[in-house]
Amino acid sequence: MRAKILMFASFALAGIGSAQAGDVTSLRVKDYAVTVYRAPGRSEGGFNLDDLNGFALVSEVRHVSLPAGLSRLRFEGVAGGIQPASALVTGLPEGVVEKNRDAALLSPSALIEATVGKAVILKRTNRKTGTVEDKRGTLISGADGGVVFKSDTGIEALRCSGMAETFVFEPPEGLSARPTLSVLVKTETPIEQDVTLSYLTVGFDWAATYTATLSADERNLSLGAWVTLANSNDAMFNAARTQVVAGRVNRENDSVEPIGLGESILAQCWPHGTTSDIPEERVTLQATRGFTAGIEVARMMAPAPMAADALYEVVVTSAKKVQEEQLGDLKLYRVPDRTTVASRQSKQVRLLDRERIPVRIVYGFDLRESQFDADESVPATRVLRTKNDAADHLGLPLPSGSVEVYQDHGEGALLADETELKDVAVDEDVELKLSNSDQVRVRLTAEREGIDSRHARELPLLPGVSMRSVEKTGVFRAVVSNALPHAVDFEFKLALPDGARIVRADHEVTRKDGQPLIKLAVPANGEATVLFAAAAVEDRAVPSR
Amino acid sequence: MRMAILALMMGATCGAAQAAERDLSVTIYNNDLALVQDKRDIDLKAGRQRVEFPDVSAQIRAETATLAAADISIVEQNFDFDLLTPAKLMEKAVGHEVTLVRINPATGAETREKAAVLATNGGVVLKIGEHIEVLRDDGLPARVIFDKVPENLRARPTLSVTLAAQHAGTERATLSYLTPGLGWKADYVALYNEADSKIDVQGWVTLTNTSGTSYDNAHTLLVAGSPGTADGNDFRRPFMPRTRATLKQAGTESGNRERLGDFYLYPLAERTTIANKQTKQVSFLDVHQVPAEHGYEFRNGWLGTVEQPQSAKTVYSFSTSARAGLGDQLPAGTLRFYMKDKRGDPQFIGESAIEHTPMGSVLSLSTGDAFDVKVKPIVDKRTRLGAFEWQSDMRYELTNALPREVTVKVLQDGLWGDTSIKQESQKSTRRSAEVAEWDVKVPANGKATLTASFESRY
Repeated sequence: MRAKILMFASFALAGIGSAQAGDVTSLRVKDYAVTVYRAPGRSEGGFNLDDLNGFALVSEVRHVSLPAGLSRLRFEGVAGGIQPASALVTGLPEGVVEKNRDAALLSPSALIEATVGKAVILKRTNRKTGTVEDKRGTLISGADGGVVFKSDTGIEALRCSGMAETFVFEPPEGLSARPTLSVLVKTETPIEQDVTLSYLTVGFDWAATYTATLSADERNLSLGAWVTLANSNDAMFNAARTQVVAGRVNRENDSVEPIGLGESILAQCWPHGTTSDIPEERVTLQATRGFTAGIEVARMMAPAPMAADALYEVVVTSAKKVQEEQLGDLKLYRVPDRTTVASRQSKQVRLLDRERIPVRIVYGFDLRESQFDADESVPATRVLRTKNDAADHLGLPLPSGSVEVYQDHGEGALLADETELKDVAVDEDVELKLSNSDQVRVRLTAEREGIDSRHARELPLLPGVSMRSVEKTGVFRAVVSNALPHAVDFEFKLALPDGARIVRADHEVTRKDGQPLIKLAVPANGEATVLFAAAAVEDRAVPSR
Repeated sequence: MRMAILALMMGATCGAAQAAERDLSVTIYNNDLALVQDKRDIDLKAGRQRVEFPDVSAQIRAETATLAAADISIVEQNFDFDLLTPAKLMEKAVGHEVTLVRINPATGAETREKAAVLATNGGVVLKIGEHIEVLRDDGLPARVIFDKVPENLRARPTLSVTLAAQHAGTERATLSYLTPGLGWKADYVALYNEADSKIDVQGWVTLTNTSGTSYDNAHTLLVAGSPGTADGNDFRRPFMPRTRATLKQAGTESGNRERLGDFYLYPLAERTTIANKQTKQVSFLDVHQVPAEHGYEFRNGWLGTVEQPQSAKTVYSFSTSARAGLGDQLPAGTLRFYMKDKRGDPQFIGESAIEHTPMGSVLSLSTGDAFDVKVKPIVDKRTRLGAFEWQSDMRYELTNALPREVTVKVLQDGLWGDTSIKQESQKSTRRSAEVAEWDVKVPANGKATLTASFESRY
């Protein structure tokens, strides 16, 4: 019974696609699983829906019936961005002889290309009488968009006469209406079972989007996050088991040969210059629907803002959260229920919600990003610190993403900042870099420089030239001003040239990440001052004495 | 039917002989190059004639084409690439007569008359009887019918050979030529089983055809190699960014596959049709339960220091030897790693390119970054020892958020010149003059610190 239905299906298809002897077409997918991976080179922020550079692993379970012998099993309707080299078919007992992906899709230009040298019927309608004339002949050229037709009348060009004319094509071989992967299967006994087709496809991406709400006193944070995934392929994945994978996976520069979008045929003719200046209408045969890897479709759709399928649908699912599990050295997040990943759609699922995370805002100044003698007041940097552990109401892997920072203000919360988060493992320190503060500022002044010539050394280099090494000492003053009505923690990170050392300082000097660090508490609406002296040996070539 | 039409068409375009009954062989190399050998029977007249081959690759390197058959001598070879379009058709009709069919817009009645084409510059100027007219200047429908397609205009670029045959009859001829647009590489699927550290590997050859032509029922041979091309286009540029070395140890075993000089050959078992714009895959390797090692690697540049810990690379290594490995040489391509998730579904975990790999080699492939294993390299201190002598104290803080102990290979790069290690918290191996290497154990959900002092002189 099943075999009969399939036979019927392939006959039905003959009108639009190919059905060679031994072709078995599989159209219906019983089960989908989609695992979405981030674009490997993308920064922590979100993605552009018109240019999704991530990818996905798609698994489709299809029921197939194969007769004994050699057959071509055609999987119709795979994602257009399929990387054919990654396709795997499992569940066929005899195995697969070969796998093919045909990048030529059914379109007007593909029809003409496939019909060159073959029989075709030119249908010409008399505009006045309505008489239709069917002229049998051969399409002898479709080169460069010009179509040349030959019949027993002679040779003519399409769309040059100004008459209503079109072609009626024979069903062409090897053109399918939807992206198709076919496998050649050899089997001794008929097969009737489920097979799984899995492949990688471009035109997907996902991002984590965090919302961090800071309490009014800046001591507590509530952190929520969404997983946003998007599909720019024309294919839709019904009731799919959906996962996303966090962490960077290696991808080789394996560009996918795009599936040919039928180019529009500008039925080009001979020069149409006239003796009048009334413009003549041009006739364009337009591919009504085409397909390429999703990225390109989106780009091509861009100039036509009214095109309905260029618009993305945004779907927010229930507040059920994704479930995390370890996948090798990566993190896999499972969408709790089956969901439909529709074509040109972005979908959001809750990643996490954590409350009352103790945080600390630390102001700072890093000399590596400044100059020793800038002598002007510059804004202090601002970071939000906590630790990713249970004690701080966290302790779960945090996949990289963009962070919207809100702050409680009266009734609700207002957007205070936007920043990014890198992949954070459990027990790691979390540091969110906020924008610089204009209220807390630093002014660094080089107060005095001196040379200790008593300890100068000279080393002969060449006859008449010596290298003189002296120790140079500088005394610096940093004034931190605070225009806020509360005291702030301040970290002054020093960057010294190679071999330099802190000679003395009026505050305790610790080290962090290989740099000397001075911690200060700056009073509300007040100032704090740091004085320190650094020394380094400098070399200079001098004439020998 | 199809043959008949083709014959009709060819017969009409020129009086040349046509070729039929083909036996195609396609040999594909790795560097976008293929050798096509096309054996066919040609019907020949005695004496000089032209034979056309309209079905050669659209990207044929015409200068490499040779036609070989008994009892013929080649006079000349032509590659015509003037394409048949309506504009070209009209252009070539200048000075000739065409038939003009006018349609009366009121009645729909047709009237026929002969016209001579005078010019096609910007518009078509016709001479009808004694009058000069611009074609369709009135905007009314008018068909132009040509008697014949001019010579040299083709629907697609066509190779034609003028030859002299000693006698009439059917001759078996071989046309061979080189063409770009056909290429192949290998694609591997490795399923890693974490429980017993074994991989199952399937190998597929992937061939792609963008040459603009289909090759029907062709005997196909794939050559694992890139013959040097005369134009000296070596794609290995000297200043390519340094990538991670994957071939740890080159093998010394030979397989029992067919060879051509230094290249291994992969013939497809059966004849196949390579359609235009098609990607085709054929299996060539399927091995199970090969031992593989899962490790971590972190490479630090000279004086590399960071504020945020960096992920170590996840590395899988395995052998291709016959005894304890894949037991085959591997043509260059991409190896994709998969691993089963908790539900038992295979999930993709990253891929790595591999070069042509002899049998018996050791491969070490990185699939991506480890989420939970990180390293924070810090330049703790730089001390001046003398005018040209420095001591650099490095500290590497390693963290592991996995519930098991891991070993991270820490590589310190850039030990340029006379750089030596004065002190280190654990013994290093000097892999080369440039690189020192430590295997650092990091406990489950724990931390480890590695320190080393380098003394450099210049």
